[in-house]
Amino acid sequence: MSTVATTGAPPRRSLGEFILEQLRPHGPILTPFNIISAPIILAGMVLVVIRFWKGIGAVSNLSQAHPWGVWVGFDVMTGVAFAGGAYILTAAVYVLHAEKYHPIIRATVLNGLLSYMFYSGALMIDLGRPWHIVNPIIGNKFGYSSIMFLVAWHFLLYTLSEFIEFSPAIAEWLHLPKLRQVLKALTLPTVIIGVTLSTLHQSGLGALFLFNKNKLHPLWYTEFLPVLFLVSSVFAGLSMVIFEGSITHRAFRIQIDPKKHHEFDEITLGLARGAAATMYVYLFFELLVFLHGKHWRYLNTGWGAWWLVEMVGFVAIPLALYAHGYERRRLGAIRVAAALTLVGVMLNRLNVCMIAFNWKSPVKYVPAVSEVVITLMVVFLEIWAFRWIVHRLPVLREAPAPAQEG
Amino acid sequence: MDRRKFLELAGTAGAMAAGAGLAKAATKAAKPSDNKEKDEEFVAVLVDTTRCIGCRRCEVACAQVNGLPVPDPARDGALEKDRKTTVDQWTVVNRRETEKGEVFVKTQCMHCEQPACAAACPTKAMEKTHLGPVIWHPDRCMGCRYCMMACPFEIPRFEYDSWNPRIRKCIQCYERLQDGEQPACVEACPQEALMFGKKSDLLQEARSRVYRHPDKYFHHIYGEHEAGGCGWLYLSAVPFEELGFPTDVGTTPYPEYTKDFLLSVPVVDMIVPPLLYGLYELTSRKERVQEQEEGA
Amino acid sequence: MECHHFVDIFAMKGLEYLLAVLFLVTFVLFMRHLKRHAPAPRREPPPPPRLEETIVAPPKDSSGGR
Repeated sequence: MSTVATTGAPPRRSLGEFILEQLRPHGPILTPFNIISAPIILAGMVLVVIRFWKGIGAVSNLSQAHPWGVWVGFDVMTGVAFAGGAYILTAAVYVLHAEKYHPIIRATVLNGLLSYMFYSGALMIDLGRPWHIVNPIIGNKFGYSSIMFLVAWHFLLYTLSEFIEFSPAIAEWLHLPKLRQVLKALTLPTVIIGVTLSTLHQSGLGALFLFNKNKLHPLWYTEFLPVLFLVSSVFAGLSMVIFEGSITHRAFRIQIDPKKHHEFDEITLGLARGAAATMYVYLFFELLVFLHGKHWRYLNTGWGAWWLVEMVGFVAIPLALYAHGYERRRLGAIRVAAALTLVGVMLNRLNVCMIAFNWKSPVKYVPAVSEVVITLMVVFLEIWAFRWIVHRLPVLREAPAPAQEG
Repeated sequence: MDRRKFLELAGTAGAMAAGAGLAKAATKAAKPSDNKEKDEEFVAVLVDTTRCIGCRRCEVACAQVNGLPVPDPARDGALEKDRKTTVDQWTVVNRRETEKGEVFVKTQCMHCEQPACAAACPTKAMEKTHLGPVIWHPDRCMGCRYCMMACPFEIPRFEYDSWNPRIRKCIQCYERLQDGEQPACVEACPQEALMFGKKSDLLQEARSRVYRHPDKYFHHIYGEHEAGGCGWLYLSAVPFEELGFPTDVGTTPYPEYTKDFLLSVPVVDMIVPPLLYGLYELTSRKERVQEQEEGA
Repeated sequence: MECHHFVDIFAMKGLEYLLAVLFLVTFVLFMRHLKRHAPAPRREPPPPPRLEETIVAPPKDSSGGR
């Protein structure tokens, strides 16, 4: 394994040479993924320029009745839920000493960190006056009464904690053992704060819709929304770890110690069990809300059918698949379950944020192609950044011993 | 003299009552308090839809005062369509066919007493003033459009076609009110279908109209309790659904819906870290004990 | 009698958040304080006998019970 070549330069080399060496692409350029993603990224960038020149209306179908579309519904709402794996796994490993999951911590935290960074980037496209984004941070003014204010602060602080959690890998990459030791010591407090912040901003995203008693369809509106968002972020995060792990382990196979492959299967099984357990809890919460609100009244409407698609097709079925896959040790079933779960969580966030939102209004919202292209651009850029980092930093592989000492 | 200074000296109550020409009783003696405005009762507008003739002079006056494109009621045929307020039409009059014939309804921001938009705003760009109007601060707003999501009446409008978009809606002529004038639309109404004053005075006026003509009016004052109470009150001859009013907004002030969650935030911030730290200590001690037992 | 005046149900919100932050900071300090004053673990090397004599010494118990 070529760890030495990818870990960076010997200490004597100049900074400029080091940067040049690190910027050089590792691996082939004309891969199918690049061929698909590069034009979409370019097209997205052009659209972003148009958006900042002509306004949001020029590239989106957002309207006065539907102020939030896929940029919020997918990038922020769904993306944050998908990134939930980081807070769950850091809690398991660093707080509860579940050492079994240590090997996947760095990749998960990196994924979470990049997600948050790129989503806040996507938010800059969605915000009408993004140059004022610092206002709630610098106090012009502090909107204490706002759930958005709370989410913004927790989002910012959590991104910072994820950076600190990941930073030892950067110190190893740059051969700074002393710094690494300091950063390592920060891990436990940062994880504790990070988990707390996640609890609040994951549920806070659901709480954003507490105002919408008369706008959000009753099958989705409930006082429980914050709890539902929090619980679903747990299995969304775990499913993302499984899903992303099965891809990265194929794409970056050379980076991984062959002995670890079996270990990874055991990890996947454990994650599947956790996802199944939380989905079981979630399904019962949803049933509770259903009974509490006497929601069977809506079942024989189109909205009722759509709700059943979400609950049965993308919660109950993947739950059964997870359970089956865990009992019979079938990793294939688990991966399918993970993919279905991710679709389900996305469906749920889109339902709350735009599909079942303002359902009585005659104005409907269907995202414009350009909106979707910009969203895909954000996703692809994140994957590019992830790939760039995994090729260079000790994320999947172990850092060489000298870089770890200190 | 600075406008604010003027207010501090003269007291809003006096200025307001004079402008209203209604609330003679409201000539409260100026209290020697620094934040007099805070003790002030909200202003409101009473709309009697049985008096409105659909002349749309309120729309014209609104546009003139706020620098918006001025409509031409004689020619634009806007009454043929069902309109909502837009970024440059902060108030619109719609014609409705009802069981009691044709009724004209003016719509604009309701200026809730506890507005969802102001509670939702992360930068306090939407502000409920102590006077009553809900206004917008361009220097604070970051354009997240959460006010639009939160508003139960679907009122704040966003300029989707601008690189520097603003949130646009009726501000109840806040500046004019500070100068002791009435809202432009009220002043322009030739039928006295609009009436400006203190909210409690207007409520009394509305109730007495219903009491004096029980057959003429539908017995409900829309805006008295809707969404926790509004700064615009409506009288109607027919049920308010027939006029296209949202009747599903409830009577709870909208910020109440988020109150419990927001209180749980500092609570969670205080409970979770010690809990996690405790779990950390407990799980690691178990390991230590096991190690010791194995070592013994 | 109705009084339609300004109500802010979140008037204390800023202070509440401040209190939460204050708690987090002081909690760390408090736990450190507790740690510093915690009794030394019993399984550490036995204390010098002279010190032991100054205290009323019960018969030594190897299990470490008091």
